[in-house]
Amino acid sequence: MSAFFLKRTLQAIIAVMGVITLIFFLQRLSGDPTLLLVPQNATQADIDALRHSLGFDRPLVVQYLDFMRNLLSFDLGRSFVQNVDVTTLIWSRLPYTLMLAGGALVVAFGIGIPLGVLMAVRRDKPEVRPMMALVLACQSMPTFWSAILMILVFAVWLGWLPPSGAREPASLIMPSIALGMLSMATFARVSRTAVLDELEKDYVRTGHAKGLPMRRIVMRHLLRNASIPVVSVGALEIANLLAGAVITETVFAWPGLGQLTVQAINARDFLVVQGVVLLGSVTAIVLNLIADLLYSLIDPRIRVGGDTA
Amino acid sequence: MPRIDRLLAAASLCLALFASPLIGTTAHAKDALIVDLVSEPSSLDPQKQWNPDSYYVYRNIFDNMLTRDDDGKIVPQIATAWKYASDTEVVFTIRDDVKFHDGAPLTAEDVAFSVKRIIDPKFASPQLGQFNKITSAEVTGEHEVTLKTDGAYPVLLAQLVKLSVVPKHVVEKVGDDAFNLAPIGSGPYKFDKWQRGVSVTLARNDDYWADRGTFTIAEFRAVPDAATRVADLQSGAADLVVSLDSDLAAQLKGSSAAKPLIALTERVAYVKLNPTLPPFNDVRVRQAVAHAIDKQGLVDGILGGFDKPADQMATPSHFGYVEGITGSAYDPELAKKLIAEAGVSGTHLAFATSPTFDQRIVQAIAQMLTDVGLPVDLQLTDMATYLKHVQSDPDKQPMISFGRWSCACQDVDGVLFPLLHSSSSWSSLQNPDIDKLLDTARNTLDEKARLDAYKKVSEFIASDVPLVPLYQAAAIYGAANGLKWQPTANESMFLNRMSWAD
Repeated sequence: MSAFFLKRTLQAIIAVMGVITLIFFLQRLSGDPTLLLVPQNATQADIDALRHSLGFDRPLVVQYLDFMRNLLSFDLGRSFVQNVDVTTLIWSRLPYTLMLAGGALVVAFGIGIPLGVLMAVRRDKPEVRPMMALVLACQSMPTFWSAILMILVFAVWLGWLPPSGAREPASLIMPSIALGMLSMATFARVSRTAVLDELEKDYVRTGHAKGLPMRRIVMRHLLRNASIPVVSVGALEIANLLAGAVITETVFAWPGLGQLTVQAINARDFLVVQGVVLLGSVTAIVLNLIADLLYSLIDPRIRVGGDTA
Repeated sequence: MPRIDRLLAAASLCLALFASPLIGTTAHAKDALIVDLVSEPSSLDPQKQWNPDSYYVYRNIFDNMLTRDDDGKIVPQIATAWKYASDTEVVFTIRDDVKFHDGAPLTAEDVAFSVKRIIDPKFASPQLGQFNKITSAEVTGEHEVTLKTDGAYPVLLAQLVKLSVVPKHVVEKVGDDAFNLAPIGSGPYKFDKWQRGVSVTLARNDDYWADRGTFTIAEFRAVPDAATRVADLQSGAADLVVSLDSDLAAQLKGSSAAKPLIALTERVAYVKLNPTLPPFNDVRVRQAVAHAIDKQGLVDGILGGFDKPADQMATPSHFGYVEGITGSAYDPELAKKLIAEAGVSGTHLAFATSPTFDQRIVQAIAQMLTDVGLPVDLQLTDMATYLKHVQSDPDKQPMISFGRWSCACQDVDGVLFPLLHSSSSWSSLQNPDIDKLLDTARNTLDEKARLDAYKKVSEFIASDVPLVPLYQAAAIYGAANGLKWQPTANESMFLNRMSWAD
């Protein structure tokens, strides 16, 4: 087990380094941000002076080695647009991103999984059709459209919820739904398929033969078996929720990392982009690692296989 | 399913705990003004970043050397009077009754320090280019500061409108970084708190020496999506929002809660032609472009009629605006004829633009040029790449490009010199006569001589067409119905010039 863990960690570090190197050079392919910082009527001398003081006139390799050296001491550098440490910027946004991802996850898990199980267990009943329609709708509506529609209905017309921002707990409701809807549909579909597969298995028939009520068969025996595909999709979805909140955050003016990233990319605030990408890639890799470990907790068969390998 | 129910309950509890850092609602009282900006300010040190969202906020925290009144006239602020000791020396009298927010008096020392700070290349202010004609700032009396310039510099006063006075004792004590996070100024509003990514809150300075604001608190929030800003306004979550387009303005016109506020700015949209590259090395083709573009059509058909067609690279709010300049009239037939005469019909134009600009306008122009026989290939690149492309050697610059220009100084020197003088990286024109006119106008304090020179340059633009001025851009804000405010040409937002209608 520990050899497995060590190997995975090593792979993870290499992957993160690769991502960081890639983003470092990709960003610099099309020039530096100096021109975006100066007023329009700045002369070439002014521009050169600012470029020099920001260090963008140094060779790329020197800039890269400098960045990597700082990274080893956990120094992500400083935003030259905002004149603040990148770490400070990320820390200030991270709680909001976690909050939103948490809210979206509650929507996605809390509605998606029961809905999927229900759709599978009652697969022949007429009440399943509207549920399927809802899942399909949630899957198809683009966030920028559904989000602005929600704002219009619940904030402008009905006045129930704050339209945007992060001023009060109620501000979290609409962004969570907007962001969670797509994942909800994914969870509903995946859990429906998984449960349908399990329903055909022998142990379910045995349960029926023993005279167990359907509810008990599902809750006690089936869900655990059906949860493997849900966990692997879950890890991917959580990573998506953390990284893919750009549109939701923009529409709802939610101050998370997604907004920071878009702002930084537009301003070519390289170090901020690098910091967020670093965080994102580490998160994605760690989540996948957790998912791998979770499989073995849920399904002893995987654990046995892993140990003998 | 009892277990799922329990899971749900636990999940909602988690969510509630997660959400606890969200601050409680502040009552939406009339004494607080909530402003939706596009992004959060990148800096609150007035001598660092310079983008609109920073500018809207920090100009309320600081006083400037001079300011402009609502009519655009340069009037005293921290400097009460000024006189020219020579062409290169101006003596400013400094107001003696101004206090910084920490209670310390604002002195001539602070003024000199502020100027020296921003012109110090080591400080690396992005605004350096606006002030680097100033060579020194010395305290020459108890309430007197003398600025020396590198040669006569007629735009000095217009630039000093943007020179914020910072407290020497605070900046030297806490350093630039700490000052940026908790700025102390002498303006009508004090910095209160900055909740990063969410909002900046200012509180009224009750000891302010001039007009105090109406609102006790002002909160600036970052709301990147324009439709959301309008929703905020309509639901009463915001009182003033910036950067709307004409469609959203039309939407607000039908609203009972809010109204659009529109001001023509000093920003002029233009098409720049590169006379060093064919087909634009032929003056007839440049003239044809000017005749092919229906400016009135762009303004009415796309921009909602708020902007104003322009015949010169200046607006009435600029020094150097010339009455009576007429550009080429919209005449596609004449354009076709000129193109046929020049024998370039069917030549493809590589048209440089960036997503920052209104693509509807760019596409309409592309269609108009295609219609008269010059098919357009749009080259859409991100802003930084676009800027690099349009600021290079003349023969490496785009054949034709779209742009919008504001020097934020309301003096055509800041427009014409960079766009047309051969020494400027923006210019693709190499014309010694125009260079001479621009040099003359830049280096004399004689207003009449300057106006004469600019008149000749504007006439040259109209006839020789290195640029096609398109329209004076409008800034569209949205405001709660009860808010009284007159937006100005220099796109500033002074809270103490706003009030609630009774």
